[in-house]
Amino acid sequence: MRKYEVMVILDPSLDDRTIAPSLDTFLSVIKKSGGTVDKVDIWGRRRLSFEINKHAEGIYAVIDLESEPSAVLELDRQLNLNESVLRTKVLRPDAR
Amino acid sequence: MAKPPIRKPKKKANPLKQAKVEYIDYKDTNLLRKFISDRGKIRARRVTGVSSQQQRQIAKAIKNAREMALLPYTSTTR
Repeated sequence: MRKYEVMVILDPSLDDRTIAPSLDTFLSVIKKSGGTVDKVDIWGRRRLSFEINKHAEGIYAVIDLESEPSAVLELDRQLNLNESVLRTKVLRPDAR
Repeated sequence: MAKPPIRKPKKKANPLKQAKVEYIDYKDTNLLRKFISDRGKIRARRVTGVSSQQQRQIAKAIKNAREMALLPYTSTTR
């Protein structure tokens, strides 16, 4: 089990109320494999410093979790397949 | 014989030590903005005055922040 920090940029046209539930469905991969989601921090809409897929804004979310490496890999793969996800980043905060 | 004037490089105060930052986080854009020029370029170590280890961490963090569009790759304000 390892600690991970996942940052996601979502499409700004999404409804604010649907963000938390849709992130939860993504995170079910982690929970099913025995990992734990420690914190989900939704920053909200933020201006991008350059356009991504013609979007000037994005909805940022930072997720702290602890899980097996394979489950995080699968989470990242599924996020990248989704159209409403502009960009993702997976980091291990304790591997400096 | 005129001696060439010897310039003593002035030692800069380490800005990170003053701010008490131990881990340079790529999400902390306000801190990282101090280490980029107004064009968006990473400032050199002789300008920033941090240790070489810290400079490396700063550069990593800035590059991570750029990937997530938190900081610009370039900004053509002029």
